[in-house]
Amino acid sequence: MSTDLTAVIAPIEQARGLPNAHYIDEATFAEESKAVLHATWAGLAVAADVPESGDAKPLEFLGLPLLLIRDKDGDVRVFQNTCRHRGMILVSEPRKIEGAIRCPYHSWCYSTKGKLVTTPHVGGPGMNTHEAIDKDTLGLIEIPSHIWRDVVFVNISGDAAPFEDIHADLIARWAEFDQPMYHGGDDSTFELGVTTNYKLAVENYCESYHLPWVHPGLNSYSRLEDHYNINEPGKYSGQGTLVYRQFEGVGGKRFPDFSDLSDKWDEGAEYITVYPNVLLGAQRDHAFAIVLEPQSVDRTVEHIHLYYAAPNVDDAMRLKNTAQWKEVFEEDIFVVEGMQRGRYGPGFDGGRFSPAMDGPTHCFHAWVAQRILDHRQSHAVAAQ
Amino acid sequence: MSLDAELLAAHAAGDVEALITLYTRASEEAVQDVARGFYLTHAYVFALEAGDARANDLARELQKMGRQ
Repeated sequence: MSTDLTAVIAPIEQARGLPNAHYIDEATFAEESKAVLHATWAGLAVAADVPESGDAKPLEFLGLPLLLIRDKDGDVRVFQNTCRHRGMILVSEPRKIEGAIRCPYHSWCYSTKGKLVTTPHVGGPGMNTHEAIDKDTLGLIEIPSHIWRDVVFVNISGDAAPFEDIHADLIARWAEFDQPMYHGGDDSTFELGVTTNYKLAVENYCESYHLPWVHPGLNSYSRLEDHYNINEPGKYSGQGTLVYRQFEGVGGKRFPDFSDLSDKWDEGAEYITVYPNVLLGAQRDHAFAIVLEPQSVDRTVEHIHLYYAAPNVDDAMRLKNTAQWKEVFEEDIFVVEGMQRGRYGPGFDGGRFSPAMDGPTHCFHAWVAQRILDHRQSHAVAAQ
Repeated sequence: MSLDAELLAAHAAGDVEALITLYTRASEEAVQDVARGFYLTHAYVFALEAGDARANDLARELQKMGRQ
């Protein structure tokens, strides 16, 4: 049964949040996923996951087997990780593709650009061609992808408008940061597995309302009134701070800043969700990206990556910074897991929003609801 | 050690370099075209996968035989 989303897209003063079924019901989540995670540009990974040509990493996105690969020319691509012959999984573990991707079943071979190169014995023993097998039409199925701020976004349905068009406003908002940034390496990434629907991680990230209660350490220097809401209906949302304090190492040592930033960023920083599942942080001296991997209706893995303005920053400072962020993000786990458990309470109606404080969350809910309504509408038209 | 035994050992060890060499040798020793094409194909596929420089020559051999 379709959920009623009328109240979700109402003005914030009257709105309620998404109904419980969107957090606990498999069928509802499946419908939502088609509309929200497949039909838009969803975060899959980061380009730093495949730093060198030939690096390949198998991934799953809601059960869809994908292969993230950096081809021989250095371009990052995403393919279905499925051989065009008998549907075998091509790559099972992260590894370097030295020459070609060879299917482990019958050894059909693909280039790192997805082209089917050879089909051994396809015409009988020692005969590698057959008139019925047109290699040019049997390359790997490529998923449209786009990289922004090192995040690899994919459009599974293949029919979304270009990423740069959909996110033009956000790209312009952070244009000052359109400059090289460097992943901190193995010690600057970590994962947090959480028993929650991915949307609850988005909701928690978008708002500053919870900061003094959940992150009292942060609040010692970053008070609630020093934060502002970022609400761009139909586009993105998040929060900003006016009192960002640079990370300091021993003796007050600091990371290098990104180049030529305006005064706004001296003590300003912004934390924005690129709908539907990528949480980004922009600060003068480092950045981060959190790709939310929605594994199921109630299970999410948060992949956190930290970036710097220079390729080699101080090791000890970098380690300390990772530990500091890990502590902050871990403080949020009980919240996102608690909200998930709360969603099993049938009397909960999606919740009321504070018009003053919950704008970014409402903005996200309304965006999700509108995507689902549009999806239902297009299916209704197609059915006619 | 026979060529067969060497091939089995190379497969067991995952020794791709040896597999390319041994399948190439097997193709050279093959009497019939089908067998030659079969072994050349294996040499080529392992070379292609490994990014081994011999892949191009092996592909050309197969093309000359009308098998690639």
